[in-house]
Amino acid sequence: MKELLKNAVGKGQKALSEYDSARVIASAGVAVTKYMLAKTRDQAVSFAREMGFPVVLKGCSDKVTHKTEMGMVKLKLKSDQEVAAAYDELTGKGVILDGVLVQEWIEGDKREFVIGLTRDPQFGPCVMFGLGGIFTEVLKDVSFRVAPLTELDAAEMIEEIRTRKMLDEFRGSPAVERAALVKALIGIGNLGLEYDEIREIDINPMVINGDKPVAVDALVILNSK
Amino acid sequence: MSMQCLVLLHDNKPAYFVDKWYRSIKLSPPRIRSTAGKGDGTMRDLSRLFYPRAIAVVGASDSMFKWGSYIFTNLLAAGFKGEVYPVTLTRDSVYGRKAYKSLMDIPGEVDLVFNTTPANKVMNVLRDCSAKGVRNIVMITSGFSETGEEGKRLEEEMVAYAHAHEMNIVGPNTMGMVNTACSIYATGSLVKPVRGGISIVAQSGNVGNQVMEWAEQQNIGIGKFVGSGNEGVLMCEDYLEYLSEDDDTNVILMYLEGIDNGRRFMEIAKRTTMKKPVIALKAGRTVGGARAAASHTGAMAGTYATYASALKQSGVILTTAPTQMLTLSAAFDALPLPRGNRVGVVTLGGGWGVITADECEEQGLALPPLPDDVFAKLDSMLPPFWSKGNPVDLVGQPDPVLFSESLRLMVSSDAFDAVIILGVIGATKFVVRVNQMVLDLGYGSQQEVDGLSAVFRKKQFDFLDTIIGFMEQYEKPIYPVALVTSPEDKMLYSRNGGKYKVAVYKTPEEAVFCLAHQYEYSRYLRQRS
Repeated sequence: MKELLKNAVGKGQKALSEYDSARVIASAGVAVTKYMLAKTRDQAVSFAREMGFPVVLKGCSDKVTHKTEMGMVKLKLKSDQEVAAAYDELTGKGVILDGVLVQEWIEGDKREFVIGLTRDPQFGPCVMFGLGGIFTEVLKDVSFRVAPLTELDAAEMIEEIRTRKMLDEFRGSPAVERAALVKALIGIGNLGLEYDEIREIDINPMVINGDKPVAVDALVILNSK
Repeated sequence: MSMQCLVLLHDNKPAYFVDKWYRSIKLSPPRIRSTAGKGDGTMRDLSRLFYPRAIAVVGASDSMFKWGSYIFTNLLAAGFKGEVYPVTLTRDSVYGRKAYKSLMDIPGEVDLVFNTTPANKVMNVLRDCSAKGVRNIVMITSGFSETGEEGKRLEEEMVAYAHAHEMNIVGPNTMGMVNTACSIYATGSLVKPVRGGISIVAQSGNVGNQVMEWAEQQNIGIGKFVGSGNEGVLMCEDYLEYLSEDDDTNVILMYLEGIDNGRRFMEIAKRTTMKKPVIALKAGRTVGGARAAASHTGAMAGTYATYASALKQSGVILTTAPTQMLTLSAAFDALPLPRGNRVGVVTLGGGWGVITADECEEQGLALPPLPDDVFAKLDSMLPPFWSKGNPVDLVGQPDPVLFSESLRLMVSSDAFDAVIILGVIGATKFVVRVNQMVLDLGYGSQQEVDGLSAVFRKKQFDFLDTIIGFMEQYEKPIYPVALVTSPEDKMLYSRNGGKYKVAVYKTPEEAVFCLAHQYEYSRYLRQRS
């Protein structure tokens, strides 16, 4: 990871591509959707088959940090043909890409959370947890802890959000496995302590698959030189 | 999805950066202090700062409205036992005391210097301190980093000198300090709270003084106070570290605007809160407040959400108003900690009980039902129309014996960790007022009213004694709420040699507020030990 981060900073990157971001957060113990980086249309199709349909395709580059706005996300593709067409569309936008990210589609149960890392001038790396998805902005239901986090710290910050009841059994979905969230929060804090190259991390959303929180999008922002 | 935005001032200069987590970040870089040698993990010895044997006031004056006069007269008037030497170039004596031209002329040893001379004279004073062997200085003087470039340069020079000569400097730009244990009341105002176990560290002298003023009015005992000023040398966490080891301090109260070294502060705070409660108010919750704080001490006020989390993570109890801070400190200083969140309520009236129950539930406290044995005994004792549940409603029976017995049943039961009792305190005043009205109508006699008044006052004090006795016997906190209060009522009552004191609350919500925070702290300790 150190190598990956150092190289990216060395190249003057401001952020990691989603592919590299996913590798970094996965190394910290955060569960991430299955993902593979396709360099050709055929590769994309064969990765999709390997993973099982439906899949998601995303244009992958450190320059593409606002994927949705740039039309770089193709959701819920159900066949070879759809994957191939999406591949062509993403690569035909005139943006230089590292490749196309093929991701397993997770239906989820509408519950979405956010995990993040920020650096405070006085306290250093701080971990954030909260309600994710499209309501993050409106409800501002988030909690913070200064890294490193103990298990107790992580458990407490989870309980601090106003919508914590969504983590319990919710409209037919099982209670979210808190231990997995605790592990993810501790891991993200440790990334901040370990790697000065990382300025911020944004994992939004973490969707809930059964009782497991899974990251379906991640962005690592770098401390540029 | 980009949520970042800039908040612009009217001249189009960016004032705040609002990051994607909606915290406003001030754009000026954090203030760099010349703090070589600080934060190295060594604890500073502040014992002679707070317990000096002799004090000199440099810049002492007998012009009544000068700082050199406030500090000097305050020290003398409060009865500090050691020598207090005035030092001034312009006078031979100050308020009848022989004045010295310089520290070096003072015959005896000096442990602590209060300096009120102007900023450009400060280096001379420090050199004299060094020559005289003075290691502790309270730098009242302002005109340093809070004023601009030249002030900043002066402060850096002063700080470097202090580090090179291992000097403890409070301030600069501080309102002074207090240690009631040795009768040092040396601030710009004349507040004189009684001696007690609550010590205050304030990044604003006037907030600290106000808290002490309220404490004085409420009979709440204060240990030490220090206004940390610009924190050139001693930082707020240095005081915290000292107070954590100080036997005269039971509770630490902090008014904070900004912390320079957040991680060091947290380390010290985590250790301290395992020993004694720390209650803090972090100002600058809003963008406007943060701006005011930044211009006040020159410290960078970080983002409130981070501060609040960091303090909570360190076991610090966070409040949002200075009065709350004092009320809570008094509870922590006076009462045993509840071991759990199960509350028994005894009330003179039904509505009060319901309000209290609502408050408890909203703040994470529980009101379990009455256990069978408690129920049976209460049922045999109370009128048939009592509430038959928790809250125990005595349905307007103002009988202190009924109250005492009900209280004993509740507090002694394993079903409850704390008891709130609404209404015996203040009943005296109620009875006396009733009699006064009768007297006004021409019946009864003044003598009778006075006699009654004395009897009830005694009953009230007996009841307060009973509460203290129960708290000692069962090691559980009891929170009485007064039926009627008057302005001259004190919040705290103690009895000689008592381990605990009674805090009388004016409202149920105030009692529940204190209980909820004490429970939270007790849970924090239990989970971490």
